[in-house]
Amino acid sequence: MTDHITTLVNKVTHAHTHSTPLRIVGGGTWLDAQRPCAGDVLHVGAHRGVVEYTPGDLTITARAGTTLHELNAITAAHGQWLGLDPAAAPNATLGATIATASDGPLAMSLGRVRDQVLGLECVTGTGERIRAGGRVVKNVAGFDLVRLHTGAWGTLGVITEVTMRLRALPEEDKTFVVAADERVSLESFLAPLEAMRIAPLALELVNSAMAQQLGLPQATCLLVRLGGNTERVAAQVQSLRAMGDVTEVAHQPFDMLQRIEQPLDLVAQVSHMPTLVTATWRRVLEQCSLHQLWQPLLRASLSRGMVRVVIPHATHLKMTDANAAALASHLAPPGAHAAWQQLPAGAWSAVPCAVSDALSAGIRDRLDPRHVLNRGLLGETFVEAARDRDGATV
Amino acid sequence: MNIAPALVDIVGSRWVKTRPAELLAYDADGLPGYRAMPSIVVLPGSRDEVCAVVRLLAKHKLPFVPRGAGTGLSGGSLADGSIIIGLNRLTKIHRIDAGNRLAHVQPGVVNATLMRALAPHGLFFAPDPSSQAACTIGGNVAENAGGPHCLKYGVTLNHIAALTVCLPSGDLVTLGSSVSEPDGYDLLGLFIGSEGCFGIATDIWVRLLPVPQAVHTLLADFASVNDAARAVSAIIATGVVPAALEMMDQSTIRAVEASIYAAGYPVDAAAVLLAEVDGLAAGLETDVRVLTECCRAAGARSVRVATADADRARLWQGRKKAFGALGRIAPHLVVQDAVVPRTQLPAVLARIHAIGQHHGVNVCNVFHAGDGNLHPNISYDANDADQSARVHAAMQEIMQACIEAGGTITGEHGVGLDKMGYMDELFDDASLAAMCSVREVFDPERRANPGKVVPVHACREWGGKGSR
Repeated sequence: MTDHITTLVNKVTHAHTHSTPLRIVGGGTWLDAQRPCAGDVLHVGAHRGVVEYTPGDLTITARAGTTLHELNAITAAHGQWLGLDPAAAPNATLGATIATASDGPLAMSLGRVRDQVLGLECVTGTGERIRAGGRVVKNVAGFDLVRLHTGAWGTLGVITEVTMRLRALPEEDKTFVVAADERVSLESFLAPLEAMRIAPLALELVNSAMAQQLGLPQATCLLVRLGGNTERVAAQVQSLRAMGDVTEVAHQPFDMLQRIEQPLDLVAQVSHMPTLVTATWRRVLEQCSLHQLWQPLLRASLSRGMVRVVIPHATHLKMTDANAAALASHLAPPGAHAAWQQLPAGAWSAVPCAVSDALSAGIRDRLDPRHVLNRGLLGETFVEAARDRDGATV
Repeated sequence: MNIAPALVDIVGSRWVKTRPAELLAYDADGLPGYRAMPSIVVLPGSRDEVCAVVRLLAKHKLPFVPRGAGTGLSGGSLADGSIIIGLNRLTKIHRIDAGNRLAHVQPGVVNATLMRALAPHGLFFAPDPSSQAACTIGGNVAENAGGPHCLKYGVTLNHIAALTVCLPSGDLVTLGSSVSEPDGYDLLGLFIGSEGCFGIATDIWVRLLPVPQAVHTLLADFASVNDAARAVSAIIATGVVPAALEMMDQSTIRAVEASIYAAGYPVDAAAVLLAEVDGLAAGLETDVRVLTECCRAAGARSVRVATADADRARLWQGRKKAFGALGRIAPHLVVQDAVVPRTQLPAVLARIHAIGQHHGVNVCNVFHAGDGNLHPNISYDANDADQSARVHAAMQEIMQACIEAGGTITGEHGVGLDKMGYMDELFDDASLAAMCSVREVFDPERRANPGKVVPVHACREWGGKGSR
């Protein structure tokens, strides 16, 4: 395994010296979102396997190329789980999940990715191996570079090893569905939730197109994942009846949600204040109609105020890049934020760069001064002058 | 030059302290044995005044130390000859947005004050450090504070939506977002726990949680520390996530019971576990039963359950006031902080006991067992040179033992001044240098809380192998 690291360090060091960009590829799933990213492919998926797992500690340390699927199998044998459910292909790696901070419906109860990573090792853009955080569940030693690398898309370092918090599997884990009566407004349907005493593992509103994909009644539905002991689950089901008929769904629609997105689909996540989530939902639907994108698949994590939209490849075949760019610019209502996950290659230029501020740019300049790691992936521009400046100090 | 008149121009003469008698109140924090006199204490009354002060100091290249309530336990707010920017006047709760479970507060708001303001809304802010009656939200952000209930609810990092930060240059930036989940680097997460080295948070948007419908508290009594530690492991493995899982050893129990904070703990117990489950009322009694069984199976002599608020409060009083009770034993109390993997608790506790005996000091343990977050404390007289030396030596060995067990040197108190010496043992040169280089992005002149967190010798020029 050290061979992998040595090779990796050598490749990054070489890239830094010659200012030749590298495109980091683990399972090759997320980075295939057609984001602009030049460079020689740097394969890291072979660096895999569990480094340390003591079930009693409820933490696991694994190499970045280990898949979530493998980790879930290993931990499940001890009655534990990772609690991460991003929309991802089965070969999605741990490293890519951390690098892209990809989460799913469970985030509302178990936390987002940043809340679950305890430590990591990476190779910076200058070829330095560094370590951040640790293997324990609480740690404030030093500046928090763990958070910095989580969601940085590999642009500050190639993640090689990660320590995650684990949880014991709940005694019961059941999914229920409540279908909305199409005659009432979305607000009326959801109103009882406000005062309801429930603490679900996950709670997603899905539109009828999504419901159909999930093998549910063809209506706007509330999907509720309840965990805990028998009494707790039963009491919450009872509470949910205030919204309508509650039916248990045995076929794991939450697992299906993870697999529903396909490589050429358009995918975005729009977030705003939780109290405005139905307005955000409508806005997304309106924008899709405006661009004649019929039957978009929608779901919303209500307590996060987040709506995720999937426009299947088949429904946007005729869309021009200009139209996709227009959609990218206008999908979110004013004040909200659209985090695009997948777009046609020609439309990414419409997505504003999120790391152009002075602090972000400064950090990139320190940890990857020649932008060799996933150059351009975050829409940032690289000024060759930086190379000359550094070159002069050699 | 004398900067005081220029500071007076910004905040008014009343809020610039320069006389030794006034400065004396700022010469220490919660870390015993360390004193450092600031040259000036300036107390801005608004975000604009904070920025004006910081800009002025930037212009004159003067270092500064941000300070909240000064309850920190790692010496992080000590200012040796430099200027303290006290944030205690910034105590406004701007807005509580119950619908979006968000509150916008100033950094000087006291943690417990915020809790009281939230109670009528049925909401709370999760971090609850033992100092919550005095410590400020700004301080909680700077230290990434925890507390007993972070076992279930997480630490400060997990509960901040956004910050407006005055950078050491005097420029204002917003990190995170109070209205959405932004893309980009997690500068918010990076800032939280940066111990005043990256700037001053002037506006804080905290996330809120609904007050649990029901809470049950258990006190389990053990004849050996090892049994108590085994009970902790068993509880953690069940899938029931206690809101808190605290352990106190015999020395602590006796100190508490001998004080006005007596909580009715069994004084002959080798250790007690204080466990709490909360949440929906339905199923909570089953959780209590599961925890009780875990404790009994591990050898608990008795398990007491409190459901009434008054009974629960009494059980908690001993735990929350344990530091106060320990403080009565001797003039000084050093409250240590380290984290070990949970399975290592029995071995590390035994090791700590042996270290204490070897150095002839009495180590009292009162800590967040569920997280593996130890607080070995030693009551002593810091003015007694021999005692101080023995306490220091014992603490060093305890830290070493925690590092060797795969743990870390601080779980919630911060590195500050006190723990800097251990950073080299925890991180290699490249990792420390990376931390330094990130700090320099926020503070190129190293003027914000200088000389803390990362040892200066680690701050070599960051260039990487390729350019060397």
